Amino acid sequence: MQTQRGLWLFLVPSGLVISLVLLYPLGYAIYLSFFNYYLGGQPPTFIGFGNYVALFGDERFWGSIGKTVLIVAGAVGLEFVLGLAVAFGLYKLTFGVKPLNLLMFLPHIVTPVVAALFLRWIFTGRWGLLDAIIMSFNIFPPDWLGTPGWARFTVILADAWQFTPFMILVLYAGLNTVDNSQIESAQMDGAGNWTILTKIMVPAIKPLILFVLAIRIMDAFRFFDQIYVLTAGGPGTATETLTMYTYALAFRLLEIGKASALGVMTLLLSALTIGLLILVLYRRDKGAF
Amino acid sequence: MRPSRASQTLLFLALCAFTVVNLTPIIWAFMTSIKLPVDAFSVPPKLIFTPTFEFHYQVWVEKQFWQFLINSAIIAVSVVCISVPIGTMAAFALSRMRGSGSRGILFGLLAMRMFPHILLAIPFFVLAQWLNLIDTFPAMIMALVAINQPFTIWMMRSFFMDVPLELDEAARIDGCNLWQVFYQVALPVVRPGLWITCLFSLLLAYNEFLFALVLTGPNTKTLPVAIAEYGAEDLNYWSLSAAAAIGIMLPIVLFMMALQRHLVRGLAFGAVKG
Repeated sequence: MQTQRGLWLFLVPSGLVISLVLLYPLGYAIYLSFFNYYLGGQPPTFIGFGNYVALFGDERFWGSIGKTVLIVAGAVGLEFVLGLAVAFGLYKLTFGVKPLNLLMFLPHIVTPVVAALFLRWIFTGRWGLLDAIIMSFNIFPPDWLGTPGWARFTVILADAWQFTPFMILVLYAGLNTVDNSQIESAQMDGAGNWTILTKIMVPAIKPLILFVLAIRIMDAFRFFDQIYVLTAGGPGTATETLTMYTYALAFRLLEIGKASALGVMTLLLSALTIGLLILVLYRRDKGAF
Repeated sequence: MRPSRASQTLLFLALCAFTVVNLTPIIWAFMTSIKLPVDAFSVPPKLIFTPTFEFHYQVWVEKQFWQFLINSAIIAVSVVCISVPIGTMAAFALSRMRGSGSRGILFGLLAMRMFPHILLAIPFFVLAQWLNLIDTFPAMIMALVAINQPFTIWMMRSFFMDVPLELDEAARIDGCNLWQVFYQVALPVVRPGLWITCLFSLLLAYNEFLFALVLTGPNTKTLPVAIAEYGAEDLNYWSLSAAAAIGIMLPIVLFMMALQRHLVRGLAFGAVKG
């Protein structure tokens, strides 16, 4: 067919850009991951899987995986629970939904760097708003950004501040698509809100939930802007996720080869996580029917 | 079952409380930006003070943040002007193709959206240095155009899917060639969607930080990099950077108001945060 063949021409400009600026650099990064390459040092030497082997023996690498899992799970979990609760609240509310929805959404659309600054001015020791409030009750506040545990907590809160509104928006839109007759008949049978939410509505929008969780996990895995501004991975390496460690390797220590290997591992790990998520949720789905 | 008035009021108040807590960081930053340092550093925090817009003027004019705004604008507008046309063409083709080829491409685009940006930042930096493109507009613009493609294509494809194929066929019978079908028949129908895609792409480019951090320099620095780097040079630092941060946020708030009806669609395809 003439038409179908003509359509391929429409793909050429975009295809060229993607190949040259996305796929070629990606291939180049994979290529670099097999080299011992210090920026501005000796010319790169081929070391095969040397960088990967070095990473497997690197405590900081395993540490960063742990922190990534903790921060991603903490943030996405918090966002989902809070998002579902608020979305259900909005669904139940009979007035004033629109302005509330719009105002709630504001934090999501703020430039991530700016959002991180806003939060830093809340959490900064002594002068931050939170400390000022706590101290006016004569309580000595914890160092939100300076102690490892609290810093992780603050980073999770920061991610949740920006992405809970996203969850609310998507889940609220989803809840509104659930068939009303089912809910009404359950109400006739005397089912409470909790039962309706967990037994009827959540199963009904399962594909949407899966989709939004996959998107969030994917983005949380590579989240950089807020951690960079809030803690820069510190104190020490307390909030150093895979992305932060890769950045430090590449642009602070200039170990381009090792950093590329770490980037490739991050890609594989996030693909694996998403794959597992889809597998587990679909498997459960099939078992249910 | 009609919900009782009392429970509705309670629910409304609870959601209001959530919203207020949520907006506190923004309100607090705005208040800091119009406070003198004496008021900004008081414990307990002062809620009543004489406002001043001096810091807004200082940071944008005297500290020359307007330059970074121009850099950001040049980059964001160029990205939209390149990314949206080529992405729209590809989206049209993918919405009209039959067979498994287009499915494969669409899935591939989705996978590209998953790339950790840090993995791309490394070769971008090495290649840009090799080509002498660090701190130039083309490097930054092309990087963002490429990153933007999966979003633009998926978004525009969803609009083209709503255009009935009969319209294409009728135009073909009237003697239009494929380009005319695209440009004169399908494109006018999706024009609202085109504007929405443009605005989202603009936002994406405006908000981007990691590539800007790696690829830009003194001549091309964008607003997010400038504000992140802005250090404590003087006593008024807090008020000044708060003023800059609020200024950076303002155009986005305006965008959101223009886009509010289309947020779900745009966000689903990964706008705003790349």
